[in-house]
Amino acid sequence: MNKTDLPFLSAAALGALIRTKEVSPLEATEAYLERIDGIDTKLNSYITVCRDDALRAARAAEQAVMRGETLGLLHGIPFAVKDQFWSQGVRTTGGSTLLADFVPDTDATAVARLKAAGGILLGKLNMSEFATGNSVHHPYGTPHNPWDLARHPGTSSSGSGAATAAFLCATSLGEDTGGSIRNPANNCGLVGLRPTWGLVSRYGMLAASWSMDIGGPVSRTVEDCALTLQAIAGYDRNDPYTAQVPVPDYRAGLNGAVRGLRLGVVKEAMHADFLNAQVRTAVAKALGDLEGLGASLVEVSIPLLPAAAAVTRAILAVESASLHHDWIRTRLHEYDHNVGIDFLTGSILPAQLYYKAQRLRELIRRQVFEVLGRVDLLALPCSSEPAPLLPTAPGLKSKEEARQRMAGRRSLTGVFNLASVPALSVPCGFVSVADKDLPVGLQLAGRPFADGLLLQVAYAYEQHTSWHTRRPPV
Amino acid sequence: MADLSKEDVKSLGQAVGIDMEEPFLTEVTYNLNALKELLEAANPPGLEQVEPLPIIPAHERR
Repeated sequence: MNKTDLPFLSAAALGALIRTKEVSPLEATEAYLERIDGIDTKLNSYITVCRDDALRAARAAEQAVMRGETLGLLHGIPFAVKDQFWSQGVRTTGGSTLLADFVPDTDATAVARLKAAGGILLGKLNMSEFATGNSVHHPYGTPHNPWDLARHPGTSSSGSGAATAAFLCATSLGEDTGGSIRNPANNCGLVGLRPTWGLVSRYGMLAASWSMDIGGPVSRTVEDCALTLQAIAGYDRNDPYTAQVPVPDYRAGLNGAVRGLRLGVVKEAMHADFLNAQVRTAVAKALGDLEGLGASLVEVSIPLLPAAAAVTRAILAVESASLHHDWIRTRLHEYDHNVGIDFLTGSILPAQLYYKAQRLRELIRRQVFEVLGRVDLLALPCSSEPAPLLPTAPGLKSKEEARQRMAGRRSLTGVFNLASVPALSVPCGFVSVADKDLPVGLQLAGRPFADGLLLQVAYAYEQHTSWHTRRPPV
Repeated sequence: MADLSKEDVKSLGQAVGIDMEEPFLTEVTYNLNALKELLEAANPPGLEQVEPLPIIPAHERR
């Protein structure tokens, strides 16, 4: 196999070739670094490339293979992480100039676990400033969508979407507070899993909202997503809210079985007036395919789903503003303008409204749990539309514009952050916009710790279709 | 309820040690009023009886 072809392998396939010594970790790492050099000037998916450290780790990984050592799950696999995760000795900016010089002296638990599994850290990926989702200015370069460079790769794990879709890493980590893993997965034609809150440690992950943040995989295939989750999942004494539950073998669960499963189709999502007609058609076709594979479809209702975006925004605004209080007072002009607006809003949101948002959150969670008591999984569009054009100017011109930002598509993902349940986006087709084919995703959500079932159903669907085999024109 | 004015918003900022000036003041007023309006409009049955819990207690997780 030519070295230049290596980045196009799945992480699972690359791992198999490394184990049989047909490919060396060094070759694979060099191939990715060369591709980053050649393409990332168009995408700006990386903030920092860890070239020397990656090559050093790859040589060590190669020697371990040659010595016949026991190899980890991701041995020799080049990965990258959103620049929200601490990386020992490598700056971690959060997508902000405010942290331009922050160099952690330890790895985030998720990064440490990927390395312990044998993964090679290629670098740190671009993101919306402090993962709040509304930023327009990206101080390390505007990230672009590989399917159409004029479009957004998705917020806030923008680089995780762009780099993974453009084959600039084998798999990646994003972080999801209101949809920030699933939105880039939707926009870039990837598999993105927001794990059950408490399944993956938040230690060493720059916080946006303590009660909704969680890191998870952004990968090209369901199997790669399962492998990546396997490496990072599980209790961590550094994060008191990680659950002490056994971590199943996610890859072993990828058996294609969906027969007999009951999928709840969320009517407030499928019939939403803000849903793009092509997206609705693609998702309906995917649901029909799953029915053809043996699942049964049941229409279910989450009446408060349309309110989820505003509730998510209220909680995120207050929790993130509380984290940034000192800098909001003293260094406001160093934030992206839109981030500054959101942080100021969160700083002064009346307590009774925040309390009401928390009450609404609890009711939303009860509605989600009630329907999950009657079906195995929920199914709905991941986003109301394919990747939008990149914004050109910050700022709000009216209250109505602000309302629009807090409604619509963000309800489709935010509802599951509020409920603390796992949710995944898997490519389910392409829609045509201005002569460009843009990917869209089917979202599946499940009960707490049903992450494996999400992967199982997504895998069955993926194997039945070929969406994941298409390559962006970059 | 009526929208908050820019003066109201400026006062709320001052209460938490933030002196808000333009262009932030106008846009924060839009943003806060939009969020306030959306939250005030959501009044599902049972809302007043709910005890808000930010995360799921362990015994309810499964």
